[in-house]
Amino acid sequence: MTPELTPPLAPDDLLHTLDTAVQSKSADDIEIAVLARAGQYTRFAGDVIHQPQDITEVRYLVRAVVDGHAYRTATTVASHLDTAVRTAAAGARQRAKTVGRSGHTTVSGPQPDGPTGRLWFDDVTAFDAAARVTAARSAIAAAGAVGGEAAGMLGRALTQQAVATSRGLLRATVTGEASGSLTVSVADGTAHWIDVGRSADRIQVADSVAWTVAQAVASQRRQELPPGTYEVVLGAEAVGELLHFLPALGFSGELAAAGLGLTATHRGEQVAAELVQVADDAGADVGLPIGFDVEGVTKRRVVFFEHGRVGDPVTDRAIAASLGTESTGHAHIAREEVPAPAAANIVMTPGESTEAELIAGVERGVYLQRFWYTRLADRVAGTITGVTRDACFLIENGKLTTPLAGMRFTQSVPGCLAGVLAIGRETKSQPVMNVWNGATSAPPVRVAAFRLGAAPIEGGNR
Amino acid sequence: MSAHDWGDLAADGSADVLLDLALSTLDNSVGYADIRLVEGEELRVYHQLGHDPDERVEHTIGIGVRVLCDGAWGFASMPLADANTPALVAQRALATARAGAGAGPPVRLPPGEAHSGSYATEVAIDPFTVTGADRDALLHNVLKAAAAPTEVVSVQCGVNAKRQHRHFASTEGSRQHQHLVETGAMLVALAARDGDVQRRSYPNSFHGNTGGSGWEFVLSLDMPTNAGRVGEEAVQLLTAPVAPAGVDDLVIGAQQMSLQIHESAGHALELDRILGDERNFAGTSFIRPNDVGSLRYGSPAVSIISDPSVPGTRGSFAFDDEGTPARQARLIDNGIVRNTLSNRDSAARADLAVTGAARSDGWGYLPVCFSTHVYLEPGSGSLDELLDQLKNGYYIDDNRSWSIDNQRLNFQFGTEVAYEVRNGRKGRLLRDFSYGGVTPRFWNSVEAVAGPEELRVFGYPCGKGEPKQWGFLSHAAAPTLVRGVRTGVA
Repeated sequence: MTPELTPPLAPDDLLHTLDTAVQSKSADDIEIAVLARAGQYTRFAGDVIHQPQDITEVRYLVRAVVDGHAYRTATTVASHLDTAVRTAAAGARQRAKTVGRSGHTTVSGPQPDGPTGRLWFDDVTAFDAAARVTAARSAIAAAGAVGGEAAGMLGRALTQQAVATSRGLLRATVTGEASGSLTVSVADGTAHWIDVGRSADRIQVADSVAWTVAQAVASQRRQELPPGTYEVVLGAEAVGELLHFLPALGFSGELAAAGLGLTATHRGEQVAAELVQVADDAGADVGLPIGFDVEGVTKRRVVFFEHGRVGDPVTDRAIAASLGTESTGHAHIAREEVPAPAAANIVMTPGESTEAELIAGVERGVYLQRFWYTRLADRVAGTITGVTRDACFLIENGKLTTPLAGMRFTQSVPGCLAGVLAIGRETKSQPVMNVWNGATSAPPVRVAAFRLGAAPIEGGNR
Repeated sequence: MSAHDWGDLAADGSADVLLDLALSTLDNSVGYADIRLVEGEELRVYHQLGHDPDERVEHTIGIGVRVLCDGAWGFASMPLADANTPALVAQRALATARAGAGAGPPVRLPPGEAHSGSYATEVAIDPFTVTGADRDALLHNVLKAAAAPTEVVSVQCGVNAKRQHRHFASTEGSRQHQHLVETGAMLVALAARDGDVQRRSYPNSFHGNTGGSGWEFVLSLDMPTNAGRVGEEAVQLLTAPVAPAGVDDLVIGAQQMSLQIHESAGHALELDRILGDERNFAGTSFIRPNDVGSLRYGSPAVSIISDPSVPGTRGSFAFDDEGTPARQARLIDNGIVRNTLSNRDSAARADLAVTGAARSDGWGYLPVCFSTHVYLEPGSGSLDELLDQLKNGYYIDDNRSWSIDNQRLNFQFGTEVAYEVRNGRKGRLLRDFSYGGVTPRFWNSVEAVAGPEELRVFGYPCGKGEPKQWGFLSHAAAPTLVRGVRTGVA
């Protein structure tokens, strides 16, 4: 018997519960968002499935508003929902009393549906523990057959999201999710694959295992690469990692409201190459699209780069009001953080070339599969630092040749996007940490110049 | 009323009934199982320049069951909806284990002793009894002070508090009840002028600072006074010279050292990483199991200790999340690796000591190896004496950016501030300072660590595992003198 995948909360009961709770007269307005997720994961390393997990999470997020002042509460169980509503209302009343003038918080009324990518595929049902264990065993065996080892995680999840407000909004959705990631090590060679989406078949586990094993085999006997600036082909995962930084570079509304970042200082200007088109797009049929945010606002497609020109930031209701615009439907509350709008489904528009064709166009350069531990080093220039990881190769005369050891890089993200020469067609998606239902999807790209290596200072305790 | 007298699971007896419901579901096929029943409540208040304040109180209650059945682990978790939940979660954990059984050699967990007991954080001022008006008044003053210079364009400040009832039972007979409280505060200010942006923070640049104590921890931080300094320093950085590149001697301040410990010692010493369990996401470690007892990781001035029994920190507890009693473990002793941050499973596989570092985020995730309260043992002398010993170089502090490779070997850090030091005296403020190196070479270049009077403690959140979970831990350090560091690397 394998554990079934069912919605954490009975859908009809949930809507009734929310509709009743938001009728509370204890505050001017009540908003309740439910974020629930049933996730099942088969995690393996070496020759064992070492951490299979079946995790059900539920959060009822309550916001009460009194005279424009809000107070939030949350709970994991319906039996505490009444308490959460009362506490939120009391908190909002107290805040209104303390401040002594009207605040700015409002809640959403009924919203039109917007376009969304497909949310459910029946193949997620079939991607059960037995199927995932079989796939994990295949990966372990395939790596073992070449003298290597495999580690990874295969998972499926059912996400349930609902929002109700005292202004007549009541909406809910259920989505499926399949995910896979794999690291194969063969001697000093390693390779990595990751993908996530609404469909289990689309992530192509078997093909991805074979590709990762082949890459790991090819990446053995790594050589050091002299620091310098190289033409590069970035694998899909590496490109996705770069796109993770776009919100921090100004495509998040709270920075724009402070007058900081690209959308505040370079809106409409040509910053990336003409080829580059990036948007946060719940209508895309890739990544983890979902139609509305925790304020119940229908997600709009927000263009970050249109033919390389800087577009707009994502916003929630409060930030949009401060910018004099409408919310784009990106309200978010992350753990341990100030609530702030969050891009949740960043997508780079793919091109026509295969990755092999991108590589074939490079006479001498470097292929970088994956970046690791990237961090913003210079907010103004958009410079990040990190290291390359897993299968990286020298490109000579259009072919991958010498495997390369991992190395540090320090590179401007806008500078990299400005140098995009060609874009591949095969998109992979990866989750965004600490963003509910967040993903970034990108194809491989060819870039004219990428700086590898730390600043060229000799000596020190290296 | 006690700071621990709140919620549904304050009474240990009530929790025992629910733990028994889960345990009674398990049959003889189960070689080992543990149950974690956790109720938590977290308060967060943020004030931001130009925005309404945001305040939230989040309640969570749930149960996680881990079983070892037919030689395979299984884990399940769920919110505690009613009295049927414990048995349901136990059944799902069993089903999860059985689905993966036979895929590889069976897991063997050496028998353990039962450990039972109770623990409660010492709290002088319950942070949940502090009025909203008092919290707002504090944050209003902090915001106003930090935002006083006209160049300051963004300020975020906040206070946070969390209380938890953590109940644990195992098939080995352990029963543990821990009632924890933590409290903290944060401040980040951005100054901008002519297209340039600089940042300053207090009391820790990453999510503020949180201690295992009550509101007295926040009061001890003197947030309003420091807010004024933070705002002014953010502005000063706009016109400060850029720090030069070279090979330099440094005194690294306590906050930056705490992150250096976290990234290049704490993570590097997690035994599950060392064994490769985390290689797909978090990575591995340059340390090998057989390095324990012999590898020279640092100079004789470097001793790094795990000790969750130290009270008042975010990494303080009496039992880890698989029931191992807290104890001090010298991870690095006078520069030599002596122990790892281990749990029972990893320690058994590596034939190393169990150091009680199995940690999990609430009830929802299974325990993995995380830092506890891990600190650099102080040496002697004041910061001024250390600067005298430095003679010429830089004093740096407060992390601005950090990056390290997946073996925890090649790192690069940036700091918010750097000061020139000439003839042992702090001079000009410099901006955009960065340094890099290789972990054992860096730690072997440590010449001295300041004394206990300079020791400061920093509570951190940290992410690990798949699916990713949060760990909450702490590090302490005193300013540290390091010779021959590569600087200006970003």
